[in-house]
Amino acid sequence: MFRQFADNPLMLLRWLLLIAMGLIFTLANSYFLAPGNLYSLGESFSLLGLVALGLALTMLVGEFDLSGGAMVAVSGLIMLKLGESNAFVGLAAALAFGAGVGALNGLLTLRLQVSSLVTTLGVMILLSGFAVWLEGGQGVSFSNYDLTDAFNASWLSVLSPRSVITIALFAAVGVALAITRLGRDIIAAGSHRKAATMSGANVASAVLSAFIASGLFAALAGALLAITLGRASSTFGANLLLQAASAAILGGIALSGGVGRPFGVAIGVLVLCVLNNGLGLIGASSPVVMLLNGAVLLVAVLVDGAPGQWLRRSRAAH
Amino acid sequence: MSTQSRSAPLPGPLSGLFAPARVQATVIQIATVAMFLLACLTVDNYATASNIASILYAASTVGIAAVGLASVTISGNLFALSLGSTAAFASIIYIQLSGLGVIGALLGSLALGVVFGLIQGIVVGLLRCNAIITTIAASSLIAGLATAFSGGRTVLATGGPSWLGNGAILPGIPWQAVIFLVVVVVAELLLQRSRTGWELRLRGTNPAAAELAGLRTRRVVVLSYVLAGAGAAMAGALIAAQSGTGNMRVGADLDFSAIAAMLVGGVAISGGRGRIIDVAAGTLFLAVLTNILLVNNFAYEVQLMIKGLAVLVAVTAGALLSRKKR
Repeated sequence: MFRQFADNPLMLLRWLLLIAMGLIFTLANSYFLAPGNLYSLGESFSLLGLVALGLALTMLVGEFDLSGGAMVAVSGLIMLKLGESNAFVGLAAALAFGAGVGALNGLLTLRLQVSSLVTTLGVMILLSGFAVWLEGGQGVSFSNYDLTDAFNASWLSVLSPRSVITIALFAAVGVALAITRLGRDIIAAGSHRKAATMSGANVASAVLSAFIASGLFAALAGALLAITLGRASSTFGANLLLQAASAAILGGIALSGGVGRPFGVAIGVLVLCVLNNGLGLIGASSPVVMLLNGAVLLVAVLVDGAPGQWLRRSRAAH
Repeated sequence: MSTQSRSAPLPGPLSGLFAPARVQATVIQIATVAMFLLACLTVDNYATASNIASILYAASTVGIAAVGLASVTISGNLFALSLGSTAAFASIIYIQLSGLGVIGALLGSLALGVVFGLIQGIVVGLLRCNAIITTIAASSLIAGLATAFSGGRTVLATGGPSWLGNGAILPGIPWQAVIFLVVVVVAELLLQRSRTGWELRLRGTNPAAAELAGLRTRRVVVLSYVLAGAGAAMAGALIAAQSGTGNMRVGADLDFSAIAAMLVGGVAISGGRGRIIDVAAGTLFLAVLTNILLVNNFAYEVQLMIKGLAVLVAVTAGALLSRKKR
């Protein structure tokens, strides 16, 4: 365990940050550990976590999906527009749309052999326009109050349906990456694309699956958010992409691909959620929130970069 | 023309225009001119001074930010996401310093951009930290500082608009477009004709080889972020000069607009390929396209969707055309 920390200081940093913030916020405001606050922490974990998990999969396979944030807005609007009479139709349509756009991202990237940063940027702009068009100038609200109430239920007074679904998905993706052929292909394709192809990994299906999962998870995040809030707007999901990227990298996912696991991403997401939740509780002003978010990322990036490596090397020399 | 170039190489200087690495840039340049001429012929009152000026105002701010950004991309560090918040802070500084006159306020905003760019350049280039995450962190820090500095409020300029805000050198050619032109020419010469520019492009083509060959790779990476910071700050100052206000909403979508303009123009996101004139062409292409949609009363969301499609089509065409030639 301790050797693992020494090899991977970013992992140590994540845990230190999480524990330190937990202690500070508990001391500053005893409501921090109250069931009601843990419940809302779970809600924000669900939204950011699903987008970050999908993005992390594309990063793992050596690509990058910029369209996740815009997908959250579009899928929420599809969910409520088509799910007014039958919620299943809306959910199915939103998820199918998410998977379809993910497949489009994957196929464009594979066929054109250009960086996915480029293809998904185009899709992102397209989706944000589509979201404004769907919204039609005003927010969309949901009249299926029973479903909204059902999704605002609490289990064991801290778990929401959304947070349970998210935790289950994190676990499922973690297991799938570890034991399935597809999971190993994803990691292999991200580690060294050419070597993976030569050793018989199905790189195309790995890349395609990662993008489909990313679209699907972002669409799920948007649909669940819309059901829980009972409304949807084209502004949902703004900033979500950058936060998800931060969470993934804080969680140990490397931009170069192949490195990092869903469990780390979950901790990265939790660090950002705890930070913002705690700062909200103690009534920090918005500049302070922005500065601390930036500072946490900067520390993570420094620990991951050369300064962290020098520390490790100097310790190894002893 | 493209069929001709595929069947037989064009003679003389034209052959280079349709080389695999240049074909997307060439197509976009031709398309921009064709689109503009077509609009002049088909849309009433299109080629008026005021409409051309409005295209150039939109193109100048995004374009200057995109030129700075392109130096980061061409040097092999993908892109920066701190341009929007840098522009916002610069717009606030520009208004706060407007008592010093246009040049003083502009220099003050530029200094801010240079300092922020330098810090990011040091973190990425010398401390070898992840380029994308460094700029996301910087974006958050800069936005926090700017909000603290301005108290989250919009700052308003005193006195009337300046020559930089709405002055024109000729009818239809605002001063801001002249500044854009100067920035493009200077940056194009820096990147294509100087030793530093040559090192910057080679760093993007192959970072490991550039380092082994003894090129000053760290210096050029730091320089690229300084240019990106300066470009973003200049864009923010120009927006502030136009509107007479500075706030956090300035440059809200500058990051992705600049990336889109650069990619459409034919700069490769993976580094090493693309020129500053391509960035200018991509910016003008998107500005003319948006303007045509605007004068035809298309809604904002349709403009966004067509812009997204334009990015996809340009990139697809570029990828397919350059592959056919291989």
